[in-house]
Parts: sequence; structure tokens; C-alpha cells
Amino acid sequence: MSEPKTIALHTTNLVVGYTKDKKDFPLFEELNLSLHSGELVCFMGSNGIGKTTLIKTLAGLQKPLQGSFKFPKDQSVAVVLTDRITSSLMTVYDLVTYGRYPYLNWDISLSPKDYEIIDNAINQVHVESLVSKRLYELSDGQLQMAMLAKALAQNTPILFLDEPTAHLDLNNRVEIMNILRSLSRTSGKTILIATHELDLALQTADRIWLATPDRKILQGIPEDLVLDGTFDEVFQFKGFDLKTGKVSHEAYRKVTIQLEGNGYEYLWTKNAFERNGYEVKPAALIKVSVIQNGNKLIWTILKDNEEKSFYTLAELLESLESRILKV
Amino acid sequence: MRQATFWKEGILLIGLLVVLFIANISLGSVHIPFSRLLSGLLTEQGTYSDILWQFRIPKALTCLLAGSALATAGLLMQTLFRNPMAGPDVLGLTSGASLLVALVLLIGQLNPNLGAAVFESPWSIALAASIGGALVFVLIISIATYVKENTSLLIIGLMISAATSSIVSVLQFTSQADDLQTFMIWTLGSVGGTGWRELGVLSIVVLIGSAISYGSIKSLNSWLLGENYARSLHVNMGRSRFWIVVATGLLTGAVTAFCGPIAFVGLAVPHLVRLIIPVTNHKILIPAVMAGGASLLLLCDMLAQIPGSTQVLPLNAVTSLIGAPVVIWMVIKSKRISV
Repeated sequence: MSEPKTIALHTTNLVVGYTKDKKDFPLFEELNLSLHSGELVCFMGSNGIGKTTLIKTLAGLQKPLQGSFKFPKDQSVAVVLTDRITSSLMTVYDLVTYGRYPYLNWDISLSPKDYEIIDNAINQVHVESLVSKRLYELSDGQLQMAMLAKALAQNTPILFLDEPTAHLDLNNRVEIMNILRSLSRTSGKTILIATHELDLALQTADRIWLATPDRKILQGIPEDLVLDGTFDEVFQFKGFDLKTGKVSHEAYRKVTIQLEGNGYEYLWTKNAFERNGYEVKPAALIKVSVIQNGNKLIWTILKDNEEKSFYTLAELLESLESRILKV
Repeated sequence: MRQATFWKEGILLIGLLVVLFIANISLGSVHIPFSRLLSGLLTEQGTYSDILWQFRIPKALTCLLAGSALATAGLLMQTLFRNPMAGPDVLGLTSGASLLVALVLLIGQLNPNLGAAVFESPWSIALAASIGGALVFVLIISIATYVKENTSLLIIGLMISAATSSIVSVLQFTSQADDLQTFMIWTLGSVGGTGWRELGVLSIVVLIGSAISYGSIKSLNSWLLGENYARSLHVNMGRSRFWIVVATGLLTGAVTAFCGPIAFVGLAVPHLVRLIIPVTNHKILIPAVMAGGASLLLLCDMLAQIPGSTQVLPLNAVTSLIGAPVVIWMVIKSKRISV
């Protein structure tokens, strides 16, 4: 983007944590972070490191131990937390209405403008069909959408979300992230998401905040943090190669296979072999080729001048295994 | 799509209240035919007029005030603690009132001169109950400012309630059987002991309590989301909690002072009303719960007063006996209870 970035949030030597028995227990120290207008930042770090505490502190729900942070104006943050709503009889519409509360008098009368903002929020997360449903009737994904609509109805320039995709299936996770992504692009909202979803974060975030075990937060764009090994250092991955995005497999069968093919077919066949302990190399005694015939896939295996074809990978793997056992 | 409105259910509830009020004043140990009801109300002389204006109308108005006050207090506690088991007594006010009433009655009976003074004034028991309730109330308010967490406050309230109840038990255990009679009758609850003067005091306190409750609709709704979300909506939760506790104290305290500890209404009515009008918005819930509480107590009072006979069943027995099966039936039918 060519336009100059405006600061939406800035922290100065911020120390956050909790107080117990009048003693301070800092979780993060000396934070000098900033959020720019219209960017989507994913805040990552291992469990219990203090992501929720920082989000709550920045949202004004708890006091910082030291230091300060500044917004351009008051009432500029809406939050989606992990707290469950116990009032299950509430309708989705009523839940979204809460977003207008900061602007309403004691008698909570909604103006036509408020209704318009509420309808907009409902449209933005596509929950029009759920408005008269009660919270106990919703799936986890729908409930999260409703909570997001409530936060949007607050009409704030900044949005904080704590683990918005926890407990959701892949489809819902992707949908939530897409909605957030488009919100930051189209309506210029600044969005901070605390999340564990490494893959989604790497693919959607403009920047990453990465909590380190020494109570600091590193900042950077996703690709830089992957390539310079920061992620590996912080997460200490066990058997996961971030650069290829794959779980590492041990080639325990000591059998190498030469694989020929293209595109997705090639990748998934390779995945099947590696997952089952075979090693895939450019040249080997066992040759497997995958070709597309019409809308069918055919795998052909060539070994000792003997050729055999299969229509599923399962059959191929079974045959491979029985041959190895024979030898 | 806008918020659901419940005009039909609302009108039904008001209609029910009016019908029950008229039925309540026409039934009793003396049968008043419906045709004579209006003339009895409008004239100032005659037996019917006396019965109506001196006894039945104050009693019906007491039902109206006590029922709506207890139901509102129950709703406030269920919302504040986000706990469907909460009722107006969770803060221990009724137990505090019981303790002081028991003490006053026992001292009165041990000392005949004092006793005569106690039993001649209808205000002495009310005063004792008010002071007892107020003492616990002040205790709870000061604890509430110190303990910031609602569940802790709920448990402390229940503990205070248990402690004061056990002192009452000790008093009962050590006293003579006939000393107990007056206290036992008081604990059964009654709406028949309030004259116009008591009614004046009761209505003023209930009005103030209800006004505070209705003035808190925004924060009451916010409590339903939990403390974090409520604060993210810039609702001052500390102040709101103080006023909710004050309103509950006034409503429960005043009713207990004049009518004794009336059970069940405060716990059950919010659930019954939510089953008919399934909303969580207190702007609708508070008036609905007030009408519901008043209706239930008017109905229970009618059933306690066996028509045409002078025999009156204890009010608390009737409220629970009628209310419990109704609530069980409705809960089973709807399979879902929540605040």
C-alpha cells in the first residue's frame, strides 16, 4: 500500500500480567508494540503464555501492571472473548443488539440508525437466517459468527478476538478468517486475533505478533518469521517442518520408490508413501507412475519387469506391503 | 427482522391479573355475589363495603405488591448471579428478618409487660423483621464492595442465611412449645395482616425498589453476557451491582417485614414467565414478572382461603403446593431452563 500507515494502537513499555496476594506476576514485559489502521495481526504463542491477558488489558478489561497504551479515541475497541454466554434463551438478534449498548441510554431504546447498524453487522457475517434462533440452538461456528456480529455492531475501528476459531471445524475456521480478512480490507478495521491456528495465521495475517518464552513479543510478516527460523525457535516443533508445511516421517521400511506424475496426484501419492514409511527418490528399483485416464486415476507399479495397475491408492499400498513381506 | 414483541402475551398477563384481582376480592369466608361487588365498592356503608374496604382490598393489594416485589427480586438475583436457582432470599435477608422476629417474640413472651406491648402493636414484628433484614443487608453490601466476584457473594449470602437460620433453630429448641406458636405462624407467611397504613409503607418501598430495578434494565441485560463482555460495553458493573443489591434488599425486606417469609414466588415466577414469554430483555421481563408474581400470589391467596369457610390454610404451604407441580410440569415440557 502506498498510503502512509496510521497508528491505531501503540503501547509504551507496557507490562501486563496478574496480581496475586498483592504481588505482581508479569506475563509480558516492556512491550512497545503498534497496530496500524486496517491491518490484520495474528497474535501467536503457546498455551498459557498470556495472550488472553494481553488482549483483555488492551481492551481495558484489566489494568496493566506498568506502562501505558494509547488509542486515537475512547470506546474504539470491540472484543470477542472465549467467555461462554450462559443465557441460552437469548436470541441472536438480541445478542447483536448488545453491540449498541455503549451508545444507548438507560432505557436502551434503539434508534432507526441503531437498527440499520445492527442489520449491517448481521449481513456482514451472513447470519440473516439465524436472527430469531436462540443461542442454545446454534452450533459452535454459528455462535462465534453471532458473537462477531455483536462486536461489529459496536462499530469500532479496532477489533480484538481471542481464539475465535477454537473448537470449529475447518470450514468454519476458514470462513471466520475470510470474513475478518475482508473486514480489514474493505472497512479498514484494525484486527488483532489471538490464535493457535498456525496455517491460517500464516496465510491471512498481514503481520504476526509472536510471544516468546522470555516475556517478549516479536513482530514481523509471516514469511520472514518462517524463513529466519523464529517460528522454529519459539515453538520448538516436534516432527513438524514449517518450511514445507509437513509433518516429518521416518522412512522406517528402508524401501525407496521412484514416483512419476504431476500436480496434486503426484503430491498426494507422495504423501501416502511417506506416511506409510516409504522413501520417495528420483531413481529407485520400484517405479510407480500416476496418470489420469478420463476422470479416473490409474497407478501403475513396475518392479522386476512386472507391471500392475490399481484404481485406488489403498489397493496399491496393500499390494506393495504384501510384496515386501514376501521378500 | 427486529426484536420480537410480546403484545399478545402481555395483554393476556394483564387480563389475568385483573380477573384474579376481582376474583380475589369477591371470594372469602363471606360470599359476596358479583352483582353486589360494585355497589359494595362504591358505597361507604354496609357489611359488604366494610368487608371489602377494611379487609379484602388491602389483602388483595398486599398480594399485588408482595407478589410483584418478590418476583422482581428473584429475577434480579437470578440475573446478577446468572444462576437459575437463585431467589430473593439468597442474600440471607429473610433469615436475618426471621432471627430478629424470633428474638422479639421470645423476649416478649418471657416478659409479659413487654409482651403485651409487642402484640398490641402491629408494627413491632414488622419493625423487628425490617431491622433483621436491614442488618444482614448492610453486612452483604459491605461484603459486596469487598468481594468483587459474584459467585463468592452468592456463597457468602447462602452461608449467612444458614448461620442465622441455625440460631433461629437453637432459639426454637430452647424455648417452650407455646412460645413458638406465634413465630411458627409468622414463618408461614400471611397477606391478611396489613391495614391501610402498613400498605402505605409497603407500597412506597416496593415502588422505590421497582423503580431502581427498572432503572437498571441496561446493566441487568449486560450481566447476562458475563462481567467481561459487560465491561467491554462500557457498563459500570460495580455501581450496577450495588443498585441491584439495594433494590433486592428493599423489595425482599419490605415484603418479609409485613407478610413474613413468603417462599417460592421469587424463585418460580421468573421461570414461569420466561416459559410463557421467552425473552432475556429485562425491559420486557421486569413488567412481565411483576404481573406474573402478583397473579400467582392472588391465586394462592384465593386457594388458601377456602371459599365460604373461616378456615385459612398457611400461605407458604399453598404457594409451594400449587407452584411446585406447575413448575415441574412446565420444566419437563420445555426441557430447558436458563436465566
